[in-house]
Amino acid sequence: MTDPFPPPGYVPAQSRLDGIEIFMPAPPESLPQPEVVDFKCPQCGAVTAFSASDGGLTCSHCGYYEAPEKAVVGQRADQFEFTVETMQRAAQGWGAERKELACQDCGATTTIPADSLTHTCTFCGSNKVIQRQAAQEILRPRFLIPFKIEPDACQKIASAWLGSSWMTPPALQKLAAIAKFNGLYLPFWTFGATTRAGWKAQVGHPRTERYYDNGEWKTRTVTDWVWESGQATLQIEDLLQPGTGRLSARLLKEVKSYDLSQLAPYEPKYLAGLQAQAYDIPLEKAWDSGRQEMREETRQACLSQASTSQVRSFSMNLDFADESWRYVLLPVYLATYTYEGKPFQVMVNGESGKISGQRPADWNKIWLVIALLLAPGLLLGLLGLLTIPLAGAGLAIGGFGFILLVIGLVIAFILYNKASALDDL
Amino acid sequence: MSDIEQTISKVPAEIAPFPHLAETWDADLAPLVCERCDWTFLAPASPTAARCPHCHQAELTPLNNTEAEYTIPTPGLAQPDLAPPEQVIPFSLSPTSLESSIQSFAREIPFAPGDLNPRQLRSRLQAVFLPMWLVDAEVQATWQAEAGFNYEVVSHQDKFEENRGGWSTRQVNETKTRWEPRLGRLQRNYQNIRAPALEEHNLLQAQLGPFDLGQAQPYQKQAIQSAMLRLPDRTTQDAWPDAKPAFQQAAVEECRQAIGADYIRHYSWQAEFHKQNWTLLLLPVYTTYYLDDEHKPQLVLLHGQSGKTSALRRASLKRAQRTSITLLLIAAVLFLLSLAVSTASIFLPPALAIGVLGIVAALLVGLGALIPVATVWWFNRSQTK
Repeated sequence: MTDPFPPPGYVPAQSRLDGIEIFMPAPPESLPQPEVVDFKCPQCGAVTAFSASDGGLTCSHCGYYEAPEKAVVGQRADQFEFTVETMQRAAQGWGAERKELACQDCGATTTIPADSLTHTCTFCGSNKVIQRQAAQEILRPRFLIPFKIEPDACQKIASAWLGSSWMTPPALQKLAAIAKFNGLYLPFWTFGATTRAGWKAQVGHPRTERYYDNGEWKTRTVTDWVWESGQATLQIEDLLQPGTGRLSARLLKEVKSYDLSQLAPYEPKYLAGLQAQAYDIPLEKAWDSGRQEMREETRQACLSQASTSQVRSFSMNLDFADESWRYVLLPVYLATYTYEGKPFQVMVNGESGKISGQRPADWNKIWLVIALLLAPGLLLGLLGLLTIPLAGAGLAIGGFGFILLVIGLVIAFILYNKASALDDL
Repeated sequence: MSDIEQTISKVPAEIAPFPHLAETWDADLAPLVCERCDWTFLAPASPTAARCPHCHQAELTPLNNTEAEYTIPTPGLAQPDLAPPEQVIPFSLSPTSLESSIQSFAREIPFAPGDLNPRQLRSRLQAVFLPMWLVDAEVQATWQAEAGFNYEVVSHQDKFEENRGGWSTRQVNETKTRWEPRLGRLQRNYQNIRAPALEEHNLLQAQLGPFDLGQAQPYQKQAIQSAMLRLPDRTTQDAWPDAKPAFQQAAVEECRQAIGADYIRHYSWQAEFHKQNWTLLLLPVYTTYYLDDEHKPQLVLLHGQSGKTSALRRASLKRAQRTSITLLLIAAVLFLLSLAVSTASIFLPPALAIGVLGIVAALLVGLGALIPVATVWWFNRSQTK
């Protein structure tokens, strides 16, 4: 029995010569995707939503449960190259316009941001995942890390976090009214590249020498500057850069420690009942930031090769190779809480539970601590001034007081900055 | 009469050309064989005996056409007749224009044999066509390969100079190749796929260099009138294994064009060949020779298009030995005279110095006598390598 020709999975391709037939691998299933995917319970027709505990779909109405299909690709997830075409089209983005969405369940028409990937109808509560046309197929989100932390767990994490700092009001943990944590998939770019650098610099080698001056021998340190050069090659993988500029960069930076080995292929069901955003920082801009981080890392690697830490006239040529990128969605929970009528924002990593956010500072407590820090120095200084007539003892006490004051000022300055940053975004 | 015609040895008149040859080739040609080296030729009928243009040591004798001493078992050629060649690459260099090639061949040989001189080489030039098989076939095949498509990616080259204010960036576009699997079916006719018709074809090609096949012309009797034709010593069955890769190579290139790819690799196919048709292509060379120390002819081949020479350049050991012996004799005479002068120093002491100088000179000349032999030995050794 002869094998069929062409073998399964191959489709005809265009041939430029008569008498030669060509077959190519069939492109990945490109079934027509509905622009909006509704998640309804097949039993009772109620709304189903993604469950972070095990990755399945659950119906809160009748208890229907759809088991998850775990498909983790991790760092094997496809990466794309910076082709000329991609770079040109990635820059187009999805703009800032809004789009009208007609709910197929209740018929209500809602206006949603053009870059929303999900929507919950405000009238009937149905969960929808919007699969709009991207500027280019590869600019669709292809991978994501599913939520692993339940919203309830976030409440506990936030509560513990609110009470974890002595700089916050003692009643914060009890009185803070934390609103519901909303799961949100944020767009991120991951970048990989090999950096090859050749560097050259003058490296200083300090040495001590003796010299004769004014009739006596003295020592001094002189630096001999020697040219050194070297080469460094770094393979940088999965450098994360935010794809959105609408959230606090500080909070994002503090929670963005994701385990990319948990990347899974994008499925609309992961977004059911959650919010998701498309990127608003285009690929090229994010790559500019990523490249700056990579070259700085490479520069540090070159500098570490120098035989001492004293370096001047440093120059290096850096060549990027095998540059690649991915567009991924990563899970965070967002919530606001109010304390004494003022709103504060909290962000929780939906995978690891790492938390970051704003907290009110208890300035009474902080000023008190600062006063306590400065008091010993001031008091001893004052005592030193009063006891100056006692000659040596007064000077010693005053000097000691001055040292304590300086130390107190430094610690107070650090404390003040830290407390000021507590409610920063 | 052309230069080429002047160089031709003629075949004896009593050798009757094959009657069918005259019809199909439209020329009076006779099949000849060299009993010494077994090379077979077709040569214009002539009243004088021809010398073998290969070994130059024996006269060519007629092939017995009734006993079919020479046969080419191929479906395309009726036996014992030979079909005329399909294509001929004409000589683009005449014997006179080979002057510089011959001159440079004969130049700078230490103690060259007396017979190795441009005049002799030129006078013995013989135009010869070497055969090559051409095969046409209809090919049906299934194939698979990896097709390579070029594409451009945007990359960056950054420069950091502390003394010039930090980083500068240059964007560069780099070309990369994307490889994709392809397979297919092929039904094509390929014509004039070449395969060696001589056992030593590859060796000759390596020595003489490639022929400009673009100069090939359809066979006309004028093209071969004044040259001898070497007959194939490989059957088409022997040549077929060499032709198949050439068919595949042609198919690879056509598949690449059909796909529209920039490259193709890992090509494999299962092919069936139908309607094979074998013909000949003739390649132009000149042969000549010189006699070495043993008076044996040494073959010299010259490319008929480029003039490139291929032959063993041998220096004459006999001439070197004669020179060495002469020097040794001179050294011996000088030595004896110096001895005599040294002896005379008993009576005339200053003569001792002259005698010693003479002995030293005799020794130097004696040592110098080794140089000619050593030079020739070294030269011949380097040529053999």
